[in-house]
Amino acid sequence: MPRIQGVDLPNDKPTHISLRYLRGIGPTTSLRLCEQANIDPQRRAKELTDDDLAKIATLLDREYLVEGTLRRTEFGNIERLKQINCYRGTRHKRNLPARGQRSKTNARTRKGPRKTVAGKKGVKDMK
Amino acid sequence: MSRSSKKGPYVDAKVQKKVEKTLSTASREPIKTWARDCTITPEFVGLTFLVHNGKAHIKVYVTEDMVGHKLGEFSPTRTFRGHGGGKKPAPAAGGK
Repeated sequence: MPRIQGVDLPNDKPTHISLRYLRGIGPTTSLRLCEQANIDPQRRAKELTDDDLAKIATLLDREYLVEGTLRRTEFGNIERLKQINCYRGTRHKRNLPARGQRSKTNARTRKGPRKTVAGKKGVKDMK
Repeated sequence: MSRSSKKGPYVDAKVQKKVEKTLSTASREPIKTWARDCTITPEFVGLTFLVHNGKAHIKVYVTEDMVGHKLGEFSPTRTFRGHGGGKKPAPAAGGK
């Protein structure tokens, strides 16, 4: 199994698919990468030579934001919002949706599992 | 949907005028404004604004990081005083 950018081990899928196992590489970038590195995107990842891998690795290093670096920039952006105390920042601090979605209902992804409040309308009837 | 870059950032004309005025003088008096939709330009850095939130004017000191945001983003319009009551102390309004 080839290994790029540390821990990532794509498998015996076509190259353009396996590259997408890297954080920050989607369908478009993965195809563009193959083109830049002169690799047939349909070739299986296990058939990649060390040379190909080196080419991909240097390309990633030079031109793309990927894995750890990407994660760090994302985190930094959010931290910046929190630090300047703008609306989006406070929403992040409180773990609520930051892009104007409703939070009276739904928004469970951000708010986590429901916390039932006793005595609220509807709860009593359920017994 | 973001604003067309052809137009450039929206800066309220009156705020712009007041900023220029305070910059030309030595005084750093806060600029009172209702223009929450005014984009913060690099010139605003270091000035203090009093941004209306519908009820009162909130003091906003502009730092470099705030450039590109709108004045209103720093003047919250709602206060959440926490759910429930009774014994549990409610989280402070506008806190974290």
